[in-house]
Amino acid sequence: MHHYMKIKRVPELLERITDPGARILCGGTDLVVKMRSGAIDPTLLLDISDTEALRGIEGKEDRLIIGAATTVSEIIADRLVAEKLPLLQTVLRTLGSTQIRNRATLGGNLVNASPAADSAIPLLLYQADVNISGIHGDRRVPVEDFLVAPGKTTLTSGEFVRGVSIPAPNAAFGSFFHKVGRRKAMIIAIASLGALVSMKDDVINEIRLAAGSVAPRPIRMRELEQAITGKLVTKALIEHAKTMAINSVSPIDDVRASADYRREVIGELVARVMRDAVSG
Amino acid sequence: MKIRFTVNGRVEEKDVREDERLLDVIRDDLQLTGTKEGCGEGECGACTVLIDGKAVVSCLILAPQVDGKEILTIEGLAPGEELHPIQRAFVEKGAVQCGFCTPGFIMSTYALLTSNIDPSDEEILAALEGNLCRCTGYAKIIEAVRYAAELMRRQK
Ligand SMILES: Cc1cc2nc3c(=O)[nH]c(=O)nc-3n(C[C@@H](O)[C@@H](O)[C@H](O)COP(=O)(O)OP(=O)(O)OC[C@H]3O[C@@H](n4cnc5c(N)ncnc54)[C@H](O)[C@@H]3O)c2cc1C
Ligand code: FES
Ligand code: FES
Repeated sequence: MHHYMKIKRVPELLERITDPGARILCGGTDLVVKMRSGAIDPTLLLDISDTEALRGIEGKEDRLIIGAATTVSEIIADRLVAEKLPLLQTVLRTLGSTQIRNRATLGGNLVNASPAADSAIPLLLYQADVNISGIHGDRRVPVEDFLVAPGKTTLTSGEFVRGVSIPAPNAAFGSFFHKVGRRKAMIIAIASLGALVSMKDDVINEIRLAAGSVAPRPIRMRELEQAITGKLVTKALIEHAKTMAINSVSPIDDVRASADYRREVIGELVARVMRDAVSG
Repeated sequence: MKIRFTVNGRVEEKDVREDERLLDVIRDDLQLTGTKEGCGEGECGACTVLIDGKAVVSCLILAPQVDGKEILTIEGLAPGEELHPIQRAFVEKGAVQCGFCTPGFIMSTYALLTSNIDPSDEEILAALEGNLCRCTGYAKIIEAVRYAAELMRRQK
């Protein structure tokens, strides 16, 4: 038997969050699937999908703050996000289907911590922080440290995600996102790559790369970024980057693809980013 | 627990189990069996309904979550005997074969066309990507949506 509580205000959440068997419910697109399959069996559901303090998008100085319970559809439709963080919208448009995007939330996608979590790619690239609140107060963690392993984050008992805080980049970046999947309609990626690139002629001025489904968590490819920054993009550099990319990931075999195939895909996507950067 | 919500314009008060799905309430309690259950995992769209005007899959929503909300199911589309223009378009364009997927497609189309009466093909595809059809191939469905948009524009 499950108990259910619609959380109106954050203090109500803090009061119950450490109850035995309590679990936060937001859009339910991960949680309800897991409850029905028997993977989890919470005894108390704390529904934050209508908690106003956790919803909405707001610009604060040079940052955008997005509430954890804001839906993917709301983020896609937001004009401030379109202007400041276009890649976030590009990526989120590929998450699930319209029906899923209307329910799925940013907080849920992060806390679910799938190696394929799409929102993680732009959040890693924009170097977002996760705003965490809890019974012992607030803290802030870079997304890169927040995600640990499949289903695992740095959240501790009594904590929840309040939202994310994303600095709007001041450099003019070209952006790239590609997801390779099994089915056209609803892609939970086999591998995905996102990039922000700024070029000076054919030299890489700054590059940020993030990959999904090729490691226990979505990752920034920092070593590779460093190795190619400041370099002229040549055929040889592209080949070198491809090899580095293939060697820097640690994918697994699963029902959707083999580890080797995932490596190959990431290498190919990195090469494509670099070719696009010089041709565009 | 007791919840109160609107279904197809009528206020309903129901005693639901905390872990019951909206889909179960619609089909079993309210006997509105136009909404179908396919996969039960959010993949097929057969169970699509509108909550406060937005298309959602009712198999992934728990009944207590809709307390205070407005639900529209396929039964609420056409008042009386006449078909809604979207239903007419699906029938006339041959977009219905076994019909299992049809209510879901029609609800997704309704959500699209009530917010965007002149959608591009790309917008139509995005609106329908969460609905699967095993019978028709999607060409006739897309054609039906274009035609429905035309019919609804004419009505205005
Ligand atoms: C058919 C289908 C297709 C999908 N396709 C994609 C896809 O292409 N890409 C992709 O990335 N994902 C995909 N998903 C998964 C995606 O819908 C979810 O990851 C979604 O974003 C989770 O948000 P939610 O609000 O539904 O979370 P819920 O299911 O409500 O919760 C998920 C988890 O997070 C916890 N939680 C939620 N919010 C908070 C919070 N604020 N603080 C602490 N804990 C919290 C919950 O306790 C639970 O453990 C798909 C899902 C389905 C069913
Ligand atoms: S039954 Fe709900 S999406 Fe398939
Ligand atoms: S008409 Fe049979 S599944 Fe679509």
